[in-house]
Amino acid sequence: MEPHYRIAADIGGTFTDIACLSADGVLVTAKVPSTPHDYALGILTGVRQIAAQLQAPASTFGQLLHASTIATNAILEAKGARTGLVTTEGFRDVLELRRIRVPRLYEPLYQKPEPLVPRRLRLEVPERLDARGDVIQALDEENVRTVAKTLAKAGVEAVAVCFLHSYVNPGHEKQAEHILREELPEDCFISVSYDVLPEVREYERTSTTVVNAYVGPVVSRYLKGLVQTLQNAGFDGRLLMMQSSGGLLDVSQVIARPATVVESGPAAGVVGAARLGHVAGYSDIITFDMGGTTAKASLIQDSRLTATDDYEVGGGISMSSALAKGGGYALKLPIIDVSEVGAGGGSVVRIDAGGGLKIGPESMGAMPGPACYGHGGTQATVTDANLVLGYLNPHALASGTVPVNAQCARDALRAAVCDKTDMSLLEAAYGVHCVANATMMRAVKAVSTYRGRNPRDFTMLAFGGNGGMHAALLARELNIGRVIVPPGAGVFSAVGLLFADYEMGRTIAYAAPLPAGEEARRALEAAYHALQSALCSEMGEDDNAGLTITRFAQLRYQGQGYELSVPLSSATVTADVIKQAAQDFMAEHKRSYGYVHDNGHMELVSIRVVASRPPARPPEINKVIAGGHLAEESTRMAYFGAQHGLLSTPVLHRYLLNDKPRQGPMIIEEYEGTTIVPPDCMVWRDAYNNVVIDLPEQGGA
Amino acid sequence: MAECDLALLEIIKNGFEAIADEMAIILMRTAHSPIVRDAMDFSTALCDPQGQNIAQGLTTPMHLGSFYDAMQHLITEYAGNIDEGDVFVGNDPYLASGQHLPDIYVVKPLFHESILCGWAATIAHHVDVGGLVPGSNSLSSVSIHQEGLRLPFLKLFRKNVPDTAIHAIIAANVRTPDLVLGDIAAQCAAVQAGDRAFADMLRRYGREELHFYTAALHNYAERLARESIRSIADGIYTFEDHIDGLGEQGSPVVFRLALHVQGDEVTADWTGTSEQVAGGINAPVSFCKSNVYAALRSVMGADVPNCHGYTRPIKVVAPEGTVLNCTYPAACGGRGITGYRIVDCVFGALAPCLPESVAADGAGGSTLPSFSGVYRGRTFVFSECVMGVWGGTAQHDGQEGVPHMASNQANVPVEIIETDYPIRIERYGVVPDTAGAGKQRGGLGILREYRILQDNVYFGVRSDKVKYPPHGLFGGKPGAAASNILISQGQESTLPAMPLDPIILGKGDVYRHVMAGGGGYGDPLERDPVHVLEDVRDGRVTRDGALSAYGVVLTADLDVDESETRAYRARMRGQHS
Repeated sequence: MEPHYRIAADIGGTFTDIACLSADGVLVTAKVPSTPHDYALGILTGVRQIAAQLQAPASTFGQLLHASTIATNAILEAKGARTGLVTTEGFRDVLELRRIRVPRLYEPLYQKPEPLVPRRLRLEVPERLDARGDVIQALDEENVRTVAKTLAKAGVEAVAVCFLHSYVNPGHEKQAEHILREELPEDCFISVSYDVLPEVREYERTSTTVVNAYVGPVVSRYLKGLVQTLQNAGFDGRLLMMQSSGGLLDVSQVIARPATVVESGPAAGVVGAARLGHVAGYSDIITFDMGGTTAKASLIQDSRLTATDDYEVGGGISMSSALAKGGGYALKLPIIDVSEVGAGGGSVVRIDAGGGLKIGPESMGAMPGPACYGHGGTQATVTDANLVLGYLNPHALASGTVPVNAQCARDALRAAVCDKTDMSLLEAAYGVHCVANATMMRAVKAVSTYRGRNPRDFTMLAFGGNGGMHAALLARELNIGRVIVPPGAGVFSAVGLLFADYEMGRTIAYAAPLPAGEEARRALEAAYHALQSALCSEMGEDDNAGLTITRFAQLRYQGQGYELSVPLSSATVTADVIKQAAQDFMAEHKRSYGYVHDNGHMELVSIRVVASRPPARPPEINKVIAGGHLAEESTRMAYFGAQHGLLSTPVLHRYLLNDKPRQGPMIIEEYEGTTIVPPDCMVWRDAYNNVVIDLPEQGGA
Repeated sequence: MAECDLALLEIIKNGFEAIADEMAIILMRTAHSPIVRDAMDFSTALCDPQGQNIAQGLTTPMHLGSFYDAMQHLITEYAGNIDEGDVFVGNDPYLASGQHLPDIYVVKPLFHESILCGWAATIAHHVDVGGLVPGSNSLSSVSIHQEGLRLPFLKLFRKNVPDTAIHAIIAANVRTPDLVLGDIAAQCAAVQAGDRAFADMLRRYGREELHFYTAALHNYAERLARESIRSIADGIYTFEDHIDGLGEQGSPVVFRLALHVQGDEVTADWTGTSEQVAGGINAPVSFCKSNVYAALRSVMGADVPNCHGYTRPIKVVAPEGTVLNCTYPAACGGRGITGYRIVDCVFGALAPCLPESVAADGAGGSTLPSFSGVYRGRTFVFSECVMGVWGGTAQHDGQEGVPHMASNQANVPVEIIETDYPIRIERYGVVPDTAGAGKQRGGLGILREYRILQDNVYFGVRSDKVKYPPHGLFGGKPGAAASNILISQGQESTLPAMPLDPIILGKGDVYRHVMAGGGGYGDPLERDPVHVLEDVRDGRVTRDGALSAYGVVLTADLDVDESETRAYRARMRGQHS
């Protein structure tokens, strides 16, 4: 029998968010401080808080679903495992030389990131394959043994192996793996490229394999510790973790492929948006997630997430990641396409030498935080501007639990902007709000217009601590007609975990023209079938009847360097399926880039199979129990730009709204965040407790 | 619209930049040739109606400043004959104020309510445009007429209708028509996207407002530029640098720069620079200006928008008939190296007045090998830009595997090369003891070795820094010189930096290139011995190198012998003084 509750924990740098959903659709959420010395303690505090609220013992929580920044932090803080790398002779510097390109122009002093494996631990062995996988030089096994001993002596905790062309023929890598296992201590984490990323391009494959090794022991220790702590506390349910691609996996499987969880938190939020949006009748969504340091956007179409494998971990924030490569470590595993910009509540405001108004990317973070927090931060931030505008409560945030000092905000903004320009305090604050939006607009464009999608065809779903604060004005800039702010928006990644599928996917290189004849189709079918079997056995599923299998083909025109992924229309490769895939590819090419080659030859680059199973849960939230008390409706003055000026604005929480639209302006103030409704917008609450903001029609566009 | 709203200026600037980036992404994702899609040798820009850049995609700095002259050429030539739905194509240094023939411009005028409001512009390095040699970058050309297909600005599309004749002429005159037309299609897709996105902005803000803020943006960039120039002490800063020269016997090409900094303006005077040469490394003046702008832009700080306004306080004097302002019919195919040296020269001149802002000399730009032949029944041309090594800076050792500041390009993966061409890369990595010694040492030279797997493969290369290795700064030593080695049937021979005669390689032959090491920064005897030890442990410096270049004595179990090191360094200092 399904247990009564399903509980989720999302660990961020400052807070651990907890969300719990009962079988009858009651959502309970909590936010507790993260405990970096032992993250499990924070989870436990949150879980206990919720258990107390529900009067349910931990044992009734059948599953704990988890997202965490553990892997990313290991890279950002350079606290991963001491890692060795074994490469083909002559190529140990591939990892360090990278792809040459840097993410910044005009910076002669730019420093690229240190390689995750120092040169002394990058060792070469004689072996060589050609591009067809034929052996040019056999692997020198004795040499591998010597290398293994050297690495063991150096005390490595993890070893990555990447040989040239192993994606075509993994033979040498498997041999080397075998020897390394014999020679290295049993707990040494071994990551081999044919297994982690069997795809062409040696830097990306090496880097991905190294990232996997580097975070492996850290993730493994962390998850094993978490399981232990939870068991000690009486929880004996299943622990599943979110992957960057948006599916949940058992922790034992995550431990084997730790690089798959680097972006688990952001992925969970996007999954939540897709699922809850679908229930509420929205299948085409742009997510907008704004926190303290960054803002993120992702695109959902036909209720499907957008995947990419064009990703770097630990690169800081880039305006448009696809162009600004080189700032982090290439990690070419499927991941939900989330673009990020350095604009959040804590982003610092300044006037530059040319008199320009600038926001971020420097952030005051959580400590000391914005000036209004009164923790010693004196620099003006976006949050300070929002407070000056009257958007944020001038006395305390989070339903009265976090006191703020409005005078500090005004002083900081005056010093940063007004003293250097002829702007008034309100003009300056409104300017900051709008410039922050302009920066965040680029994150939205990176996932929409840059891929041929027009934002006005989408609904914006806003979450994160500051999402509701900026969403409506941002939507206006993008011509988006409707914004929804879901319940639990301040802990939305945790909420999203509750609705994610159990899912695993595998991709392999398959370089071939799009099959024309029967024989080629049979070969492709066999490749899919083998991949599918390997996948199901890795998931420990003998009977795959319960799993939904989806096949994808990554296609491009011959000569191109970038692929488009097309789902296949049926589980077997037939002439019709191939014909459909070709049509779908051309339609997607036309949509993304505006043209097709009429007589262009299409080719397969790789194939992917995903196996998934949806959660056995009600697909909707019937009732929400959140922290903080719910105040009566009141008013305060808020500024909406020169056009509207300073207006007396109603302040209320979402449950005072109903399905009858009310005219803005309005401030919806809740424990988890504040939502701003501009004067010319309408706002109402739908049957799923979403706050819905409708923007006025804009002419022309 | 008397007043400039600072917030709106920043918002509109963001909007322009997003358009240039969108164009770049679409071009990259749809391009067909490795040099565009993998190495990213292309640029995108959004221009105002006068053809001045208002935003640049995050692409190639040395291209940016060169849009302006080409746009002026186009606008003047087609005055009164620019229609909605037109797309222009052109490449010629003399007939279109272009760069060199492989760099093809595709440019689209942007209209709003029938009024010209701006331009979406792209430039991409095409894998081949015909001419003497595959890759169209022959060093031995003495005239532009030997370099390939010359295109003045032509209408590739007239009012949205493609001119099939132009497509056919291009296809007939290049060695790899599929790749060239595929990349031109990618450029067209990019300018279309730019058109759509700019139309959205026009609808949002109106023509008048965008016009007003475009002017404000140029002024803002100019203010920032003047502000940074003012922070440099007035004076005339001179520097001399070289390109090795063409062929075995070629005399060095001398670059002579006097940088006049006065108040908030700067003039780069190249008087005294070598006359144009009978070979393909001459630069049109637009390219010279573009590189001066790029070098100065890079000491101005991150806030300066990449728009034409920042170039206003910069003047460039390049006498006609020199390699920096060549006249018809001088050949320009391999002029990239000249651009790199312009940037290096500006940094060299700035070093005494901005010691914290510039690095010691690096490897001098890309090495450009080209291979061509018939493989699997088709003509192939493979060129790549091998990069790059930087010199040491006030704070850091020089790095390896970074692009020259002027051209932010990527390498081509070994596995892609071996899949597509009859070439095997035997080695790719850094070479110990090649860094210029210094308190902060330079980066290490990079070795790349190509083995040819079939007979009858044409080979050519453009490299540099064999005779004039990268200089150090403030007591730092020069990096090791570059080298080009050919191994044919067991016989090793040395090639000059820029061989002129065609070379035909056979099966099993090897070309081995080692890029120069970066120059050091500061006295090597002041380098922390622990850092020298770390370099030895990492195989970047040998034990012998530690002793001879840094005076660091290491113990048998690989540790610093501090007293011996002190003594040895004292002796070395004594010898120097």
